[in-house]
Amino acid sequence: MPKINLNKTAKVILITIICIICLLPFYVLLILSLNDPGTLFYEGNMFAPDFHFSNYIEAYKRSNIGLAMFNSAVITGGSLLLSISVGGMAGYSIARRASKFNYILFSVLIGCMMIPGIINTVPLYTLMRKIHGVDTLWGMIFVTSSISLPTCVFIYTTFIRELPKELNEAAEIDGCTGLSAFWKIIFPLLKPATAAFVILNGFGVWNNYAQAVFFLQSNKKHNVPQALSVFFQQFAGAKWHLVSATATIAIVPVIVIFLIFQKQFMSGLAEGAVKG
Amino acid sequence: MKKRIDGIQLMSIPAALLYGIFFIFPLVQGIRLSFTDWDGMGKAVFVGFSNYVEFFSDSRALGDIKTTVFFAIGSALLLNLVGLSYALLMKNKFKLQDFVRVVIYLPAIISPLIMGYIWYFLLQPGRGFMYRAAEFFNTTIAWNWMGAYSYTIIVLILVNVWQYSGMTMIIYLAGLQSIPRELYESARIDGASKSQIFSKVTIPLLVPSIRINVVTNIIGSLSVFDIIMSLTEGGPGYSTESLSIYIMRMCYGNKTGYSTAVAMILFVLILVPVIVSFKFTKSRS
Repeated sequence: MPKINLNKTAKVILITIICIICLLPFYVLLILSLNDPGTLFYEGNMFAPDFHFSNYIEAYKRSNIGLAMFNSAVITGGSLLLSISVGGMAGYSIARRASKFNYILFSVLIGCMMIPGIINTVPLYTLMRKIHGVDTLWGMIFVTSSISLPTCVFIYTTFIRELPKELNEAAEIDGCTGLSAFWKIIFPLLKPATAAFVILNGFGVWNNYAQAVFFLQSNKKHNVPQALSVFFQQFAGAKWHLVSATATIAIVPVIVIFLIFQKQFMSGLAEGAVKG
Repeated sequence: MKKRIDGIQLMSIPAALLYGIFFIFPLVQGIRLSFTDWDGMGKAVFVGFSNYVEFFSDSRALGDIKTTVFFAIGSALLLNLVGLSYALLMKNKFKLQDFVRVVIYLPAIISPLIMGYIWYFLLQPGRGFMYRAAEFFNTTIAWNWMGAYSYTIIVLILVNVWQYSGMTMIIYLAGLQSIPRELYESARIDGASKSQIFSKVTIPLLVPSIRINVVTNIIGSLSVFDIIMSLTEGGPGYSTESLSIYIMRMCYGNKTGYSTAVAMILFVLILVPVIVSFKFTKSRS
């Protein structure tokens, strides 16, 4: 039947166009980052790159991107660890003890889940200045992890409620305290919850800019977006090839991690969405 | 008998401390500071509502509200339209489906700040990639998108939609997959047309996904910061400045008290879609 074939062809063409639109900006970045330093922007150089790979070396040396990636990694790792350990325990407590304290805590967390960090960033900044947390990686870890805590507690509570209660009783009979029962027996069963949380929050912490502007001001403490914005302001207009090479260096690890974990990523995202 | 300490109960205390110190305390502090003239260093003097009065009599601030709300509503509408269309297109299995999904989602994992820069390379008037591409096909793009608010704000919305439609799509796909096949079949047996099935079966059952998407998109876009910083820096003039950027700039301008008042106004703005969505679900269930 020709009609169905037509539909199918139209669908294929449509999907191809969508994919091109999604990938074009990445391609455009790649061309610019491989530009000959003498070429001005896209002057006569639109389709085939110059393959000037030394741009990357120069960009890496002149920008702060190496250190910034290290800082971003420490912040992301630290923030996720803090949220998971604190939020996981809270989720366990809330799921297993229907006390007034837990009820209030859970209600406050859910009520504040939708509030973006920028709302309290200014007063938080003054607080952090008092406790010498500005311009430190640990300060940024606490800031980002407090922003993502509601999501974390929510995910863990929902998952733990689905686990059979007998698991705890068995642990308690074996003489485990609440804490060790959680870490030894319950937590390993919560891998999907941990994965969902890491997926929903990891990239956001890595890419955080609105808080980094306040809390990571000196060159040595910049995370990836902060370092890039400073480098951009320094070199925009003159060294586009270096700016774009730095941006390429910055996004490659993110894309690689995404591609490695894309299966878990997509299912975790859908699961998080359905539960949320 | 000695009362035993309940270990499991104690386990919620670290979270309460972390959230209390680093989120709730500053939030409350912010409400208090918004009624002062604090400059970030000296003494804070109570000034009543004058920060709020100042905000609503400042044309830059009012322009920022307009930009922020227009950006949020425009983004939410388009994101849902595009995301739902993508999901419907991708609903049935086809070859390379997983690959296409990854490609569509890819922009969402990149820092919006970097994405702003990349679109700047693409769109720059007079020399960007688009301009050269048009030249290659022997035409010229005469319009300067950075020259006027009406263009700039639309470019910002489109870039935002381009970046996050994959996220919206994934949530719609999950929603579509949770609709039982039997419902479609029985509708078809009853003689319903394709458009009838869509409006009478698909859409009503997608309401939870629509609600999640619309609310998260509006809230996310109301606090927009990164893309505007990298694409226009709020320009031309202050015309595309968002409230988040205004808060940051006022804080750096030593108007700490005033900037917390702006944050409170943004907070109220964010509560609107949240309350509406709660009302909406309550009336439905």
